[in-house]
Amino acid sequence: MRQGEKLTSHLDWPLLIIYFLFLIMGMATVYSTSLNPEHPNLFDYSQKYGKQIVWLGVSLFLGLLVFLIDSSVYRKFAVPIYLFTLVLLVAVLFMPPINGARAWLQLGGFGIQPAEFAKTGTALLLARYISSLNIKQQNLNSVLVANAIMLVPMVLILLQPDAGTFVVFTSFLFVMYREGLTYDPLVLKIVNLIPGIKFKQTWVGTHFIPIMFAVVFLCIVTLLLSNNTLTFDFLPGVKIPGFFGVIISLLIFCLIAFFFLRFNSSKRDRRRITTVILLAFILSTSIASSVNYLFQNLAEHQKDRIELVLGISKKDEKNGKDYNRNRAMAAVGSGGLFGKGYTNASVATIESNHVPESETDFIFCPYAEEWGFVGTFILIVMYMIMFFRIIMIAERQRSRFNRVYAYSVVMILFYHLAVNIGMNIGFAPVIGIPLPFFSYGGSSMMSFSVLIFVLLKLDSQRSHVLQ
Amino acid sequence: MNFDTRKYVIIVFILTVGIIYTIRLFFMQVIDDTWTLRATEVSERRKQIVPPRGAIFDRFGTKVVSNRTYYNLMFVEDDIKHLDTAAFEKLLGWEKGDVKKRFKEIVIEQRTYRDKNDGYKVKPNYQSDRPYAFIKEMTLDEIAKIAPNLYKFPGFYEEITSMRSYTYPNGANIFGYITEVNEKEIEEDSYYRKGDNIGRAGIEKFYEKELRGQKGIKYIVTSARNNELKPYMGGKYDTIAKQGPNFRLGIDIKLQEYGEKLMQGKRGCIVAIEPSTGEILALVSSPTYDPNLLIGNRNIKKNYPKLILDKDMPLFPRPLAAEYPPGSIFKLLQSLIALQEGVITPESGFPCNKGLVGCHPGHTANNLPDAIKFSCNPYFYAVVRRILQQGKSKNVFADAEIGMNKWYDYMMAFGLGQKFDSDVTGLRPGLIPNSAYYNKWYGYHRWAFSTIRSNSIGQGEIKLTPLQMANVACIIANRGWYYTPHFVKSIGGKGSLPQFRKKHKCKIDRKNYDPVVEGMRRAVNEPGGTASRAKINNEQKIIVCGKTGTAQNPHGEDHAVFISFAPMDQPKIAIAVFIENAGFGGTWSAPVASLMMEKYLTRKVKDKEKEKRILEATFKN
Repeated sequence: MRQGEKLTSHLDWPLLIIYFLFLIMGMATVYSTSLNPEHPNLFDYSQKYGKQIVWLGVSLFLGLLVFLIDSSVYRKFAVPIYLFTLVLLVAVLFMPPINGARAWLQLGGFGIQPAEFAKTGTALLLARYISSLNIKQQNLNSVLVANAIMLVPMVLILLQPDAGTFVVFTSFLFVMYREGLTYDPLVLKIVNLIPGIKFKQTWVGTHFIPIMFAVVFLCIVTLLLSNNTLTFDFLPGVKIPGFFGVIISLLIFCLIAFFFLRFNSSKRDRRRITTVILLAFILSTSIASSVNYLFQNLAEHQKDRIELVLGISKKDEKNGKDYNRNRAMAAVGSGGLFGKGYTNASVATIESNHVPESETDFIFCPYAEEWGFVGTFILIVMYMIMFFRIIMIAERQRSRFNRVYAYSVVMILFYHLAVNIGMNIGFAPVIGIPLPFFSYGGSSMMSFSVLIFVLLKLDSQRSHVLQ
Repeated sequence: MNFDTRKYVIIVFILTVGIIYTIRLFFMQVIDDTWTLRATEVSERRKQIVPPRGAIFDRFGTKVVSNRTYYNLMFVEDDIKHLDTAAFEKLLGWEKGDVKKRFKEIVIEQRTYRDKNDGYKVKPNYQSDRPYAFIKEMTLDEIAKIAPNLYKFPGFYEEITSMRSYTYPNGANIFGYITEVNEKEIEEDSYYRKGDNIGRAGIEKFYEKELRGQKGIKYIVTSARNNELKPYMGGKYDTIAKQGPNFRLGIDIKLQEYGEKLMQGKRGCIVAIEPSTGEILALVSSPTYDPNLLIGNRNIKKNYPKLILDKDMPLFPRPLAAEYPPGSIFKLLQSLIALQEGVITPESGFPCNKGLVGCHPGHTANNLPDAIKFSCNPYFYAVVRRILQQGKSKNVFADAEIGMNKWYDYMMAFGLGQKFDSDVTGLRPGLIPNSAYYNKWYGYHRWAFSTIRSNSIGQGEIKLTPLQMANVACIIANRGWYYTPHFVKSIGGKGSLPQFRKKHKCKIDRKNYDPVVEGMRRAVNEPGGTASRAKINNEQKIIVCGKTGTAQNPHGEDHAVFISFAPMDQPKIAIAVFIENAGFGGTWSAPVASLMMEKYLTRKVKDKEKEKRILEATFKN
């Protein structure tokens, strides 16, 4: 810290405020869903909300601590921090399993999840490594190292096993993509083996990551909807097979993109954009069609397997394998436009237990049930504001280290949001990951807070750093 | 290389997911009802609160039908843990094996359905997570023996229910009774759920919609294990159960009680009506039964078969449903019609020609009142001949038809041959034949007065219910009009139904009643009158007007009929007494009517000797 400079100068207030808003909303939801009428005191530490208040305090204290440390420390100590989280990830594998996973490290009376902190460690080291690269230096070596930094904790997490956090780690692929580290060198290596071909760059290899995620997302949505029929209350008699719903959505989406880009680009680009969008539509439609066709023509037992993995088994839906998601969707859907009112959730409360884990992984349920669509809309808009604020912060950094770190933060948060809400609305398989700043639990609260406060610190000292 | 444009890829990616999720949430939460219904199905229980039925009071404010709390022993199979059947049987005081039997019985009671989704397999409606009544309608004493030990048998609990309670063991045929609704009734009226009660007869049936009150509904949040947690949305949508309104009857329960006492050992009935209002004061059907026998499904199960198999038919509501030939009381109406038609005057005399029809000896009827006093049969043959054969047509048959149609119109105006639009349920119309009836029977224009002359004296085809007979007494007491006889004076202090406040006029001029009433006075009060036993021997000198009747019965002894009203001026009570197989109306029915009127008008009976004679009489085969 330079002499005479206030700690809070250059602090990004909008991000901090939205962070605090989330904390309040999250705390209110935890209180509501786990409310014990015999102990209504928010500070009753025998109750979940009492404990969560403690975690909040600890998180804010940690945040303050993080904020007091000079930003250069994170760059300097990126490697030790990363290695420390790896040690924890190894150590946790020797712990007795809780609920079938060795995810918890018992420290005295508390349990923490090292996987949550591994995200911060990985983000820092990735930022350190990428910032050390020459900007033009995308080669096989750098791509492999960057991927290794991501993959080592991923493998350790898979050993726990913790599928949710494992998936979240793939968010770093987007960060690498943003920084020009793509799978193109790998693809080139393979493609150029063919005699007579000497590519310098391949489009597929360069944009492999966003394309892959778009395809995966498309496939999952197609599979989820392929057995459903969409009906509408306001259009009685109209029944649309789920697959056609996907195609229609794709068409609408492509049209919107087309008109949006056409009027926001130079004349030279227009032809290219038209071609790309047309190609994207044809490709996505054929992918969706083939997925749908394959799925419909699978043998029954194969179908069952896929449904089991996706958690959409139709058989005995109400009480069977898909129980959790079915009840979660019931809770969300029953919220209506304005919701049932605070503390009036009837499906998603710990007491009623229709939705298990309604204070942790399924905390979106009580929130959606109590506040209705108005509430969920506000929530999603708030997250979007937060994400775009962080992207804005990322893009204003002079230091590549800061920018990579900021993108890591936004992608991690985005993944959590997408998967967590996705499993509440039937768009994602049920894999347990917390909703940032909402879910009950110390580790996630602390790790998200640390992520945000490190970012705030880096940002506030962005003018100090030259690289 | 510049990668800055790639930030847009990321922004679009995030934004797309955000938009898709928002649209999806809008569909799920706002448009599509599926999930709301699903949530309701899994997490809510609609609990009905059935209010006690409205209480019923007699005309003087005595509570005659009220409610008493009973207890259902309920159970939820899923909540039962290791039921010690032996201990439970001991607690209930049951035989070994009874508990097991009862469980099976409950499953059978719920019946079965065919599952559309499972190849139309037959499946029981019974669900192990729902509550059912193990024992229904236990009294406080019964439950008190069990309740302290019930905690040893988790899954069983007590539930309060309300059943009827009767202050007097009388009036069973008036009040009716309630039982559980059947499948058809549940289908027809969405108000009912399985296990609800519905009025089966009498006032309970007719005023079911008022008496049942309004159910309350509580929405309760249930847990995944089906436990009740709290009111749904703080009870915002709950409704409060409303008890049915208080009913005030025209019945005088003391008179009813007295009437039932008088009719012990006899088959027949008494109907007493207040002429000025049409309110039924007493409606005795004998033999009758104690309404307490039919309280609750356990009692009904035990007692109903006995009552229905009883050869004296205690469940049969004779005053409304038994159609008897009225006998000589019908002469009163014939007189009124003849006077109105002008075919006779009060001074008309006809000889007592016993060649035409049998008659009592020793009288000559020189005028109408005397003819009524002596109940002279040939006299009324002559009267009715004049009504029917007025000489309007040269053809005697056509003439009879014209006369018959006129006569029929008068009869309709008296409210005969049709059901009253009343709150008395189970009414029969009786029978008043018209020309169409006889045309069908004998052929067109193949009948005349001489063919149907026995109608003149209330025999032949004519049939009246005792309620109609009492109403005839009302019409004469009122000199020309009546209100539909009815039970309920007022519902919740708001008066009776509008149709009971409509005065029915009877097409007979006021003046024509005087000679008829005079005849009825003479029949009771003058020496040689047929109804002298109807006289009230009381210092208040209440003048009773009455007319006896003897309805011939091809199956046995004649039925004794008597209608009367008192006092002669401004009558307060009109009454019809019908005793089966008791012979001459003046001998048995007249004294019963007299005692009833004395009881009602003076609140006590002084003529103990008359009372004793009646109480000791029995007329059963």
